[in-house]
Amino acid sequence: MEKCTLIITEKPDAAQRVAKALDNKEKPKKIEEKGVPYFVANRGEKKLVVVPALGHLYTIVQTQGKRNYYPIFNFKWAPRYVAERGAKQIRAWIQVFSKLARDADQFIEACDYDLEGSLIGYCILKYACGDKEATAKRMKFSTLMKSELEKSYEEPLPQLDFALIETGKTRHEVDWLYGINLSRALTLAAKHWSGRYTTLSTGRVQGPTLRFLVGREREIRCFVPTPYWDIKAMIEIQGSTYEAEYERKEIEKKVEADTIVEKCRGKIGEIEKINVKNFRQIPPIPFDLGKLQTEAYSLFRYTPRRTAGIAERLYLDALISYPRTSSQKLPPIINYRAILKALSKEPAYRKLASELLEKEELKPREGTKEDPAHPAVYPTGNLPTRALSEPERKVWDLIVRRFMAVFGEPGVKQSMRVCIKANYHHFYLHGRRILKEGWMHFYKPYIRAEEVLLPPLKEGEKMRLKQVTREDKFTKPPPRYNPSSLLKKMEEEGIGTKATRADIIETLYNRRYVTDEQIEVTDLGIDVFETLQEHCPEVISVEFTRGLEEKMGQVQSGNEKRENILMDAVNQLKPLLEEFKQKEETVGQRLSNVIKRARMQERIIGNCPNCGTGQLMILYSRKTRKRFIGCTNYFKGLCKTSFPLPQRGTAKPLAKNCKSCGWSLVQIRMRGRRLWELCFNPKCPLKEERRKRVEMRDLQQRNGK
Amino acid sequence: MKCEICNRETVNEYCELHEKANKNIVEKYNAWNKALSISWKEYLNEIAKNPYTGSSAKELVEHLMKIGE
Repeated sequence: MEKCTLIITEKPDAAQRVAKALDNKEKPKKIEEKGVPYFVANRGEKKLVVVPALGHLYTIVQTQGKRNYYPIFNFKWAPRYVAERGAKQIRAWIQVFSKLARDADQFIEACDYDLEGSLIGYCILKYACGDKEATAKRMKFSTLMKSELEKSYEEPLPQLDFALIETGKTRHEVDWLYGINLSRALTLAAKHWSGRYTTLSTGRVQGPTLRFLVGREREIRCFVPTPYWDIKAMIEIQGSTYEAEYERKEIEKKVEADTIVEKCRGKIGEIEKINVKNFRQIPPIPFDLGKLQTEAYSLFRYTPRRTAGIAERLYLDALISYPRTSSQKLPPIINYRAILKALSKEPAYRKLASELLEKEELKPREGTKEDPAHPAVYPTGNLPTRALSEPERKVWDLIVRRFMAVFGEPGVKQSMRVCIKANYHHFYLHGRRILKEGWMHFYKPYIRAEEVLLPPLKEGEKMRLKQVTREDKFTKPPPRYNPSSLLKKMEEEGIGTKATRADIIETLYNRRYVTDEQIEVTDLGIDVFETLQEHCPEVISVEFTRGLEEKMGQVQSGNEKRENILMDAVNQLKPLLEEFKQKEETVGQRLSNVIKRARMQERIIGNCPNCGTGQLMILYSRKTRKRFIGCTNYFKGLCKTSFPLPQRGTAKPLAKNCKSCGWSLVQIRMRGRRLWELCFNPKCPLKEERRKRVEMRDLQQRNGK
Repeated sequence: MKCEICNRETVNEYCELHEKANKNIVEKYNAWNKALSISWKEYLNEIAKNPYTGSSAKELVEHLMKIGE
């Protein structure tokens, strides 16, 4: 039987794209075996079998010992189904790879060209295909466009990128060593003390990230505002009213502010000076993943993880280039003109693209960051062949407009400051306008520049201060991080990678260390952090994590060995964990108490409407073993308020109030049913309405009969 | 020793968070006094109801008001 070429991709969608691009007739045959889809294509005389992975098929597992034990330093790479309960389908995937590998004489790795993709392909070639990693070739591409896929197939790299694979392995292994040992130490300390299991985790990047958040949380929680006043004057110019600011933005004494108001109210002011400044605004730089995530959050409020997911789908549809990139550069090889020509087929971009195509030379403005594997994110020029969802369309549009904007001319803005003198006091009137749109023309509607137009004014002109008012102000605490600003901070501090940062933020939410979009650290988050700070301060140190990141970067450049980094990690963790074990009781007690408090907090619904001082929470009766809502003042003998709850399913308080009566809502989740938002107020007008409707219907039915 | 307010381990008189809040409260009194010429008690009342006062600072203010400081 003729042997085939086995091509490995990272995901099923990518496999389909690769197979379609390489098939003679662009119609590869789709086969499904044990639920695993793969594609058979013919290229010339050669048969190609394109098989997708499902992300990582292999992971790190401990070689000996129980699950509830630490420290553990022995590990091996094994199929994911060995380690994860929910990964049963991986077995079938590996079996299919092994079977197809037996009929192949050539192997090509075509996973995403980055750390994770290279490791995914390597593990499949080594473990599932039987040590084929040494002979396999590598397809390298940044878009899933037919032309690029064909080129990367015809001119593959002669071997896998072993430096990248080594870095990937190091990163996974080091993260596993820190993550598993420290997380188990925390979890087991709490479990041994309380007898109840709660997953607590930390890691090499998670710890320092929590550190940023706790630092900010402490500042906010301990913040004491101070008062200050500012003064505004409403000025009448040529029949219109404009708001002018007082020369000092903050007045620290109320008496002083009142005196200024008194002295200026109703007075005639004179324009003392007009300052006009024109300044250039240079085009933005192309998107790397972090910049795309930040912009999508600020414009659409999409979390970094959501944006990464949307961008990934757009990439798999061949609409944009590979999004997990740190590059801010667009090399000419991507062919700017061809992309713009292709984009001009879309009516929304026709005019803009044509304007750029008229330019003699297209030169993008670029940032400083580079990525050896991929350029910055750019549109491929392909137009959607399916109806994009609204978020997908928005992100695609943002990427397209940003791509065009980087080729634009600098914009010119004008700012105007008019100084008005009234009774020896100065007020300033500010105006700003765009003189030349430049690149902003291409980036509309994503420009955040509001124009404030002032009428023609000249020095010496007089005007009345119609109204002068004092505003009471207070200094504000520093702002809370949001997922986007936190991601930016992680990037600035050099911790984590573009592929992992968004997931780490998500883990902090899943562990209940933080809540809300404007991130608030819970007591559990603070206590976990303080425990780590007390017992193993080094692992939450930003400098330590950054140093380790740099060392791992050196593995890729060949200046550092994976084994050395692993040995360092073990040598650091060993004494630290032994010490932790000795203090397990103290740590366990502290963590258990805070977990208990957090669990109590999760059951609190809101204030008691009857006594006003207690809080309503979900309680369980020891006598009847039933759950109900009761007031915390019941235990003090002060309030007997209680409400029944459905006994089936899970109940949890919702951070939402009933639209009709304003009482807090409870969410009931039952298997196979829709989520139920229950208002437990027996006298809720909505319930009354519903009852009347049912009665009316019954009555009509009876009359009908 | 445990913090009187939250039962965490104390650093000095209070736990780390409330100690920091205490420092801020004492430090900011000067600015408030200069701005509004108010007494310590009036100051505590003002910051207790201010929406920008942090939760730990508020807990400490309530504690100080309760013990009559």
